[in-house]
Amino acid sequence: MQRKTSILLAQLQIDSSQIFAPWQYWLPQTLGSIAIGVTCGVLGCFVVLRRMALIGDALSHSILPGVVGALLLFGLVGANEKWLPLWLLGGAMVAGLLTAVIISIVHRHSRTKEDSAIGIAFTAMFALGLIAISSLPRGTHFDLKCFVYGEPLAIAAPDLWLMGIICPLVLLIVALMYQRLKLISFDPIGASALGVPVQFVHYLLMGMLAATIVAGIKSTGVILVVAMVITPASAAYQLTNRLWVMLLLAGSIGGLSAGLGMMLAFTVNAPTGPSMVVVVVILFILAVLLSPSHGWVFDQVRKSRLAQHVAQEDVLKAVYRLGEQRIDDPEPVGEETGLPPSRIRKSITRLVQEGLMRVTNGVAALTDAGQKHAQELVRAHRLWETYLVEKAGVDPSVVHDQAELLEHAHELAEALDKKLGKPEKDPHGSQIPRG
Amino acid sequence: MIEHASTQVETAIAAVRAEGVTVAYDARPVLRSVSFTVPRGGMVGVIGPNGAGKSTLLKCMLGLIKPDYGHIEIFGQPAKEARREVAYVPQTEAVDWDFPVTVQDVVLMGRALEGFLGWPRRKDHERAHHALEQVGMTPFARRHIRQLSGGQQRRVFLARALCQEAELLLLDEPFAGVDASSEQAIFTLIDDIRDLGKTVIVVNHDLSILERFDHVLMLNQRVITHGPPSEVVNDANLSATYGGRLALLDEADETLRQRIAKEDKHLTRTAPD
Repeated sequence: MQRKTSILLAQLQIDSSQIFAPWQYWLPQTLGSIAIGVTCGVLGCFVVLRRMALIGDALSHSILPGVVGALLLFGLVGANEKWLPLWLLGGAMVAGLLTAVIISIVHRHSRTKEDSAIGIAFTAMFALGLIAISSLPRGTHFDLKCFVYGEPLAIAAPDLWLMGIICPLVLLIVALMYQRLKLISFDPIGASALGVPVQFVHYLLMGMLAATIVAGIKSTGVILVVAMVITPASAAYQLTNRLWVMLLLAGSIGGLSAGLGMMLAFTVNAPTGPSMVVVVVILFILAVLLSPSHGWVFDQVRKSRLAQHVAQEDVLKAVYRLGEQRIDDPEPVGEETGLPPSRIRKSITRLVQEGLMRVTNGVAALTDAGQKHAQELVRAHRLWETYLVEKAGVDPSVVHDQAELLEHAHELAEALDKKLGKPEKDPHGSQIPRG
Repeated sequence: MIEHASTQVETAIAAVRAEGVTVAYDARPVLRSVSFTVPRGGMVGVIGPNGAGKSTLLKCMLGLIKPDYGHIEIFGQPAKEARREVAYVPQTEAVDWDFPVTVQDVVLMGRALEGFLGWPRRKDHERAHHALEQVGMTPFARRHIRQLSGGQQRRVFLARALCQEAELLLLDEPFAGVDASSEQAIFTLIDDIRDLGKTVIVVNHDLSILERFDHVLMLNQRVITHGPPSEVVNDANLSATYGGRLALLDEADETLRQRIAKEDKHLTRTAPD
């Protein structure tokens, strides 16, 4: 069994010695990829908030025919090799713009919904790109795999120049235009009513996105680059209610994913695009689980805290009613509260810490403060019973169980008392203690 | 009030003057030859059923839609050139309440045209602070907009309109989905805004509070009537507004529409999103 596993692992081509290779031997490529990750993450915030994820996907796919077309033209003209990245950039921008125009023409002038129009336009462009690749003249160096999946080893000096110029430029423009981008993303109608050039800012955003994708095409690949745009931003969106914090977080998550993705790619000998996406999705899942306001983990913590609080108050009340209790015999309290012995012991420990109970010679009793708190609970319980019967028309025979829960909202007792006109007795005829 | 208004119009420039405004989507008219005048400083309620063209009328006043026929003047200027003077308070459903912005961010958006690329200056912060004070939302300035009640959310957008220092405020359904006490609070606030000399136009669904407006404009594609509530709010006018459109006109439109669709594609106009 052991041997089989190790053979299997050997076949998986995992080479853990390569984990730091990106930093040792491919530093410029790694830094470039991180810059692309940061820029995609920042731009992604606006894409996500404006619900344009599909357009982002369309943009990235439709770039392929532009790149291939530029390469063809470049071969025909026979221009200087060092200008190639600019040619590719131009081709990609034209293709991106063309797709945007096609989408709006199909959407407006035929009976096609916008999302369908987007789907039709970008798959058509992508298909065109794939066909164009096979028609490239022999001898043209074009590695399909590196454009589609991402291959950082193919990143050469001109690509690094492109990354080094485009990423800082885009981040600078976003910083300058931050207020405009915020306004048109939040309230496009209000913005155009004010006369803010909404269309211009929209195309500026699209243009920056296209440029960033082209610059990063060899590290991310066109198919999965949209994940680097929308996933870091979506993760950041879980964690904050401030736009600038969201931009910073999304940029960090994007950069981190790119860096870790490179390390993963070298370790498992995979293309970088998928590796980065795997990392970013893991970060996204963590953000969903750990988000302080919406996350699952904190939700569970809050729930269990509330349960503990309720258990404590129930134990307090039981001891108030039953009198002093031996700790080694939790049965009477258990019967009164329905709580398991472990829970009761834990509650007593907490109550002692809070100064509401004291334990002497293995006997638990209420302190003065505990006595007072228990009275408050009884008062809240009886007031809630009265309220439920009088105002909510609940049957007196079943009202106890509901009040048992509501009594823990004892902060509301005063308001309740006032509303009920300071009643003397609850529906069962018991005295309501005065606070 | 209506005579009073018309005499005033001759001496002062009206806040809004609409003349023969007609808008059609796909050759299906939404507004037919709508004409009315709103005097400066007035508070006008626009009522009508769904599809009566209320939102379209608002968009015309905001300069977002150019009428096919007729024109709208805001303070004597074409709507498109008077944008700075017009503030828009959107419907609650039209706002993304999960967007990561605070109350203060939203109010500052009223100053988007000031400063470099919308970056607020000290003066703009002061103005926003003042606007928040006016609507009693200062303690909530740093709250996220999702953490507010319905009434507070309306007040934030009213503060944004005040912050813009616009002379004409267009409110789209400000009372939809708020409880009676919030409704009163918002109305008091609108009264205060009017007392500052601003003109307020409220698109409204609730027929129970019409008497609080200076003017009521009843709209159902065309202007059914407009005037002070004491004169125009009656069963006959209300049923004319809400009781269905003129069947013959609709039929004529439909015939025309089909003819256009068949014969001349260029006459069709597509609805903006």
